[in-house]
Amino acid sequence: MLYIKGLGVTVEIAVFAGILGIIIGCILALMKLSEPENGRKHTLGWYIATVYVDIIRGTPSVLQLLIMWFIVFSSSKNGVLVASLSFGINSGAYASEIIRAGILAVDKGQMEAGRSLGLTRGQTMREIILPQAFKNVLPPLGNEFITLIKETAIVGYVSLSDLTRTASQISSRTYEAFMPLIGAAVIYLILIKLLTLLLARFERRLRRSDIR
Amino acid sequence: MISVRNLHKSYHGLEVLNGISTEIDKGEKVVIIGPSGSGKSTFLRCLNLLEEPTSGEVWFENQLITDPKTDINKVREHMGMVFQNFNLFANKTVMENITLAPVKLGLMTKEEARNEALRLLERVGLKEKADVYPAALSGGQKQRIAIVRSLAMNPKVMLFDEPTSALDPEMVGEVLEVIRSLAEGGMTMAIVTHEMGFAREVATRVMFMDEGIIMEENTPEEIFTDPKTRRLQDFLSKVL
Repeated sequence: MLYIKGLGVTVEIAVFAGILGIIIGCILALMKLSEPENGRKHTLGWYIATVYVDIIRGTPSVLQLLIMWFIVFSSSKNGVLVASLSFGINSGAYASEIIRAGILAVDKGQMEAGRSLGLTRGQTMREIILPQAFKNVLPPLGNEFITLIKETAIVGYVSLSDLTRTASQISSRTYEAFMPLIGAAVIYLILIKLLTLLLARFERRLRRSDIR
Repeated sequence: MISVRNLHKSYHGLEVLNGISTEIDKGEKVVIIGPSGSGKSTFLRCLNLLEEPTSGEVWFENQLITDPKTDINKVREHMGMVFQNFNLFANKTVMENITLAPVKLGLMTKEEARNEALRLLERVGLKEKADVYPAALSGGQKQRIAIVRSLAMNPKVMLFDEPTSALDPEMVGEVLEVIRSLAEGGMTMAIVTHEMGFAREVATRVMFMDEGIIMEENTPEEIFTDPKTRRLQDFLSKVL
């Protein structure tokens, strides 16, 4: 029973953080790829996104979580929400680089063709580039999400009872290590295997337009 | 229709276009030839501002399109472009490739665009490919669809950037055939190509470019039978 509750916390944080991460990642990626006005080297968006990614990737996620919990949201009682925000902000930095690479991997000619027909940069992005980029980024984003699920195991640092912490609490209460810990590991494994299968199916569906 | 004045383009200090001035009138078929690196593709791409000129002016129907205040998207609606690598939208079916821009830009309803697409597809003999994705097409088929995609916008001029250079030899003919029939239909066009026979046949004027300038410009007869400059003589002796 306790496991189910712990699993619930883990999944809840991972899903919220995953969605937030993808949203932040998309925004940052587009900021990094925004086209500067004549003469300028980079846009303001580029600088903001670069600083964001530098800070998040340059510090440990445990530390980010502690800072969020004890400093930024020190008055909040909702641990799950704070943890979700913290992981989402963290994941957004990694996702942004994945998404940026996915957009850059789309052939330059696709944008040129769209523009040559009179479509705006934004229209071509939405209709042509992003759908193709999405296909490119699905595998690495899935990878990032899987990492995220396991990384939520550090929420024990801010006294949240996720799957990992529940297991360790049970083991310290029962003075038995094997069953609780291996049990938790198996649950993670099953969860991630299911996710992998789901992603593979989704990816196959997206590959429809590649069939020769 | 198109007027180019003293066009310059440089990349990181490398001069690709060194001052080009010319006119393209309605109904003309201008074929641009020249050795690789002579700036002919860059010149063509400057005409619809896919390449931003460093200096100089491009006018299209009395509108200065190099002026940053000009809405270049509106101008491009009237200038079709066909690329060496086809650049069909990989995530769209043939039909969607053709109808996307006219519908998105509010020029046609979905229904009108579909009908127009089918009519054009029939003309190039690819009606039965309407619902397949580009990945399932041969190079020649892709390029014919790309031409149809441009035509669906009802352009006033068509720009062809080496339309047959990426094709297997046996597919060159089918694409040239489509371009030839367009030319006969009176379309104004500018074509960059290495197909000398084709240039001679459809061009009303041939432009020989080298080192970023127009070295020689004349009727196809004069260009191919009586080249004036040493450069052109050299070039023709290598390619003919």
